[in-house]
Amino acid sequence: MHDTAHDLAVQITALQKWYGAFHVLKDISLSVSRGARIVICGPSGSGKSTLIRCLNGLENYQQGTVILGGTRLGDNARDTSLARRQTGMVFQNFNLFPHLTVLSNCTLALRRVGGMARGEAESLALHHLERVRIPEQAYKYPAQLSGGQQQRVAIARALCMNPRLMLFDEPTSALDPEMIKEVLEVMTGLAHDGMTMICVTHEMGFAREVADEVVFMDQGSIVEQAAPATFFSTPNHPRARSFLNTLLH
Amino acid sequence: MSILDIWLGILEGFRVTAGITIYGLLFAIPFGLVFGVAQYLATGFVRFVVTSVIEFWRSSAVIILLFVFYYALPVIGVTLSAMTVGAMVLGLNIGGYASQAVRAGLQALDRGQKEAGQALGLSRPTILLRIELPQALVAMSPTFINHIIQLVKATSLVSLITLTDMTFRAKEISQIAYEPVPIYLSLLMAYFVACYPIALFGRWVERRVNPVREARNGI
Repeated sequence: MHDTAHDLAVQITALQKWYGAFHVLKDISLSVSRGARIVICGPSGSGKSTLIRCLNGLENYQQGTVILGGTRLGDNARDTSLARRQTGMVFQNFNLFPHLTVLSNCTLALRRVGGMARGEAESLALHHLERVRIPEQAYKYPAQLSGGQQQRVAIARALCMNPRLMLFDEPTSALDPEMIKEVLEVMTGLAHDGMTMICVTHEMGFAREVADEVVFMDQGSIVEQAAPATFFSTPNHPRARSFLNTLLH
Repeated sequence: MSILDIWLGILEGFRVTAGITIYGLLFAIPFGLVFGVAQYLATGFVRFVVTSVIEFWRSSAVIILLFVFYYALPVIGVTLSAMTVGAMVLGLNIGGYASQAVRAGLQALDRGQKEAGQALGLSRPTILLRIELPQALVAMSPTFINHIIQLVKATSLVSLITLTDMTFRAKEISQIAYEPVPIYLSLLMAYFVACYPIALFGRWVERRVNPVREARNGI
């Protein structure tokens, strides 16, 4: 447990992925230490979401390796379930289960995967709903909540499984501007608690404030990787510069 | 012959009509569920087999299947009671339709539902049973009610394989009394009276099983 490999939450080496003839991920290598906050940005279609979906087996890849928490993931059911036990994921469209109450959304996996008794699962779920500041919505259905509240439930649902790594796939892109703030506040709170996070987001204010490192992707490659201060003040690559310009205007 | 006599005469066939419907549902519901889910999940050869079975029951003429199973199978030594043949043929035919409703309901779900389950570490069966099927079945409930009503009406065909259902009774009475107009009008009404409560039941079920939509309307 003392060698440096174990201080890495994620190590991606030479990852290659094709959708048929389309080369989505081109030779991606990225290391994320425990407790690090990584923001991945880039134009749409650059492969950002695909990359983080490779980390919990929602996408497969053809070449390269992913080492998660010291274990190299193979393309088999055992490794995939191992990866999913270690990671929590928050989606752009929340993907809450509409037929279940907020509380049941949070307890389903605790009970079915964790084998936890109902009472225990519910009190744990309520704890995490408090953490995202909506315990009072526990008995409502997702459709009764605002988008921002739904996304916070989705974060609480992921936290319930006690992940070592949180993956955020454009968590605020489907939200109205006034709701983005409440979600980003929850994410900032998580970052301050020391959670390892990889966030695909266009929220550059969040990146500036919270990220240790900004990764800029374009056309399936990592084009630039730097601390936020450097990335925002003196981006190296012309494509990163033009991307930042389009965001600012 | 008074209208009351006609009604009482037709009513004597109600037990068979109701019996075939209920017995038929015992074939239709499991077949629709299992084969709909199987078609949704299976790939390759298994999917081909599943699809072939569904297509056989869905795309064959019911009346011919009734004759084949009732009159032709005994030739090769398989004798089934008229009740069983009627329930099985009608049930599996409706079950074939229902299987497509189940599959459509599952396919129509947002892909994110399955992915959210996977990301939480849920197994495939758990995702199917706890996330996908409950939503698909609720969405499909109006279609299922449709199929049950269709089954009730289709039971009139069993009069052709010797069963004394409402239609068979109406034919008998009209041969005795020769008053086809009031008798067949009464028969028409009898099927309506049998089916309409099912439609009402369907609406009630829809309200009951859809807390989400109700909740949304409540705001």
